[in-house]
Amino acid sequence: MSSATQGQSGPTDKFPVIKFVSIAIISLVIVSPLFLLIVASLKPDRFQILAEMGSFKAFIVTNPTLKNYGDILTFSGNQPFARYLVNSVIVLTFTLLGGMLFNSMAAFVLAWGRLPGRAIILTLMIGLYIVPQESIVLPLLNIMNNLGLADSFAAQILPFWASPLYVFLLYQFFSQIPRDLYDAAVVDGASPFEIYWKVFLPISLPALATVAILLGIETWNQYLWPLLVTQSNYARPISVGIAGFFGADSIYWNLAMSASVVMMAPVLAFYLMFQKWFVSSVISSGVKG
Amino acid sequence: MKPRAGGSGTILKWTLAMAVVELKKAKKSFGSVDIIQNVDLRIEDGEFAVFVGPSGCGKSTLLRMIAGLESVTAGEICIDGEQVNGLDPSERGVAMVFQSYALYPHMTVKENMGFSLRIAKRPKAEIEERVAEASKILQLDALQERRPSQLSGGQRQRVAIGRAIVRNPKVFLFDEPLSNLDAELRVATRVEIAKLHESLGNTMIYVTHDQTEAMTLADKIVVLRKGQVEQVGPPLELYENPNNIFVAGFIGSPKMNFFEAEMAKGNKLTFAGASVVAPTAKGAVPEGAALTVGIRPEHFDRDEKPDGKIDVAVDFVEHLGGTSFVHGFLSTGEKVIVEHRDAGSVKSGQSVSVGFSAKDIRLFDSEGRRIR
Ligand SMILES: Nc1ncnc2c1ncn2[C@@H]1O[C@H](COP(=O)(O)OP(=O)(O)OP(=O)(O)O)[C@@H](O)[C@H]1O
Ligand SMILES: [Mg+2]
Repeated sequence: MSSATQGQSGPTDKFPVIKFVSIAIISLVIVSPLFLLIVASLKPDRFQILAEMGSFKAFIVTNPTLKNYGDILTFSGNQPFARYLVNSVIVLTFTLLGGMLFNSMAAFVLAWGRLPGRAIILTLMIGLYIVPQESIVLPLLNIMNNLGLADSFAAQILPFWASPLYVFLLYQFFSQIPRDLYDAAVVDGASPFEIYWKVFLPISLPALATVAILLGIETWNQYLWPLLVTQSNYARPISVGIAGFFGADSIYWNLAMSASVVMMAPVLAFYLMFQKWFVSSVISSGVKG
Repeated sequence: MKPRAGGSGTILKWTLAMAVVELKKAKKSFGSVDIIQNVDLRIEDGEFAVFVGPSGCGKSTLLRMIAGLESVTAGEICIDGEQVNGLDPSERGVAMVFQSYALYPHMTVKENMGFSLRIAKRPKAEIEERVAEASKILQLDALQERRPSQLSGGQRQRVAIGRAIVRNPKVFLFDEPLSNLDAELRVATRVEIAKLHESLGNTMIYVTHDQTEAMTLADKIVVLRKGQVEQVGPPLELYENPNNIFVAGFIGSPKMNFFEAEMAKGNKLTFAGASVVAPTAKGAVPEGAALTVGIRPEHFDRDEKPDGKIDVAVDFVEHLGGTSFVHGFLSTGEKVIVEHRDAGSVKSGQSVSVGFSAKDIRLFDSEGRRIR
């Protein structure tokens, strides 16, 4: 009985081999670099890594060691890797806190405030989203320097507290909340801020999670901006720190590899913990907008 | 509550303390469109007023203006003798129950009901007490910790009503609160609302387009059309004495039948082959005037000796068990519905003769105004 129903239950089930092979290829393409990275980070000698890179030996380690992970902490004395990691976490935390707050507040006002010229602001904002971030980097750098924020945490955090994409994402979500719910809160005596804080935010957790995840990944992986804005180790994040292993005279592959693993590990762990949220956030940001 | 200038004595103060809702030339425009036009209305303390009217006539808008959710373009709204045009909804002493329930999905039943008191920073003990009291009235005790998604439609509606009760408002506002419920539950909840009004004694304003709800609940029905008040009065008054064709057709189900008629010699009305003495004073209507005659389906064949008879070509018969509605056509081609308590023998294709009394005729002029 089960075989009879199985055969008719849909096109995807008709070609299990194709399904299996395509999933295998996709996972191979995505997983093999990660695997290669982890394997390489366990090899003690940077020349060995380079020599084996072209062959299947790249995927095998015969003499595994954690020495690289120890070395990145003390590399040439002026590469305080632990510091970069802490810096990245600080930037991430404050970018997320401010970003969630300001983006959602802006979205709330755009969706429900009695704001003159709301449509114009929305249009302008979507226009802003089309402008690539790279093109505003230099004027922004100028502003930061003039504000005396060069080489600071603030310079890495403040510009990312407002993003047209996230404002728009949350605006979309907030506008779908029924008018009656807002009105019920008004009749119950809630102020606009209380409605935002006590009603809208709690029922928008899925949308907020989406924004937190996307903004979090974006912040963690920032490279160009912190590279330009940090001149010393004081506020330099891990992404820029890794670049330090690619010296002018030599490239410390072994250390770069293990540093990359350290940078990636929290993201991976986080992903595995909140896999469901991640998937739905990507779906909702992509499909529903 | 504010003592009016010149007001003296305790009697005046007492009357001012009551939750009378008064609209004076109230007007609302969205852009250039006038949705509510010069509405004058007075709803007495403790009265149950029902707004009825066709879809889009502005019932909800008028209710929202009273609630303070919609600003007033011109005119005045007074609650309790005080002009409230500029007051926030929460300062007006009103509570509103929405068609969609509008419960806060992330809060439990208890939290939903206590929300307004928490916003008002009332002491915890008082919140507990008032929520418990309202829960008891509405039999929600067992559901305190549930979330709205774990409740049935009827239970959600009761929580929404509970949320209103907890606020201890002067005026309850309901916007089609039962229209999302199934037929059986609608009747049950309707009865509950009527009982609630009886026990609380508050002023209540209720929007519906359901005939039965309006007739059974209302002390006073307000018939609206295109943003204007067509007629205000007790249900039976509107039923018996409609001011115009619109109200006559709107109140009562099935609808009142309307026939074209003419005033003939000797104060006689002629329509559909029948001729009866008009229920108006002689000479009130000039001879030859074109009129409309209205007779309710339930008013046919009521008397042993009818004043007139008309022939109905039966189209089809609706049997409702206790009674039947005979749908048919007159010789003039006009549609007619006749209520028959004993229509077992009537078949479509047949022709029946039905009698009516002159006193059951409602007469309207060519503009649709009632001629008495
Ligand atoms: N915010 C608004 N802006 C513009 N027009 C509006 C607005 N709100 C309501 N209207 C218009 O006002 C009119 C009356 O609307 P309202 O909701 O009061 O009708 P209603 O009598 O409650 O109808 P229903 O029985 O369908 O609920 C409608 O024509 C509607 O389109
Ligand atoms: Mg309405």
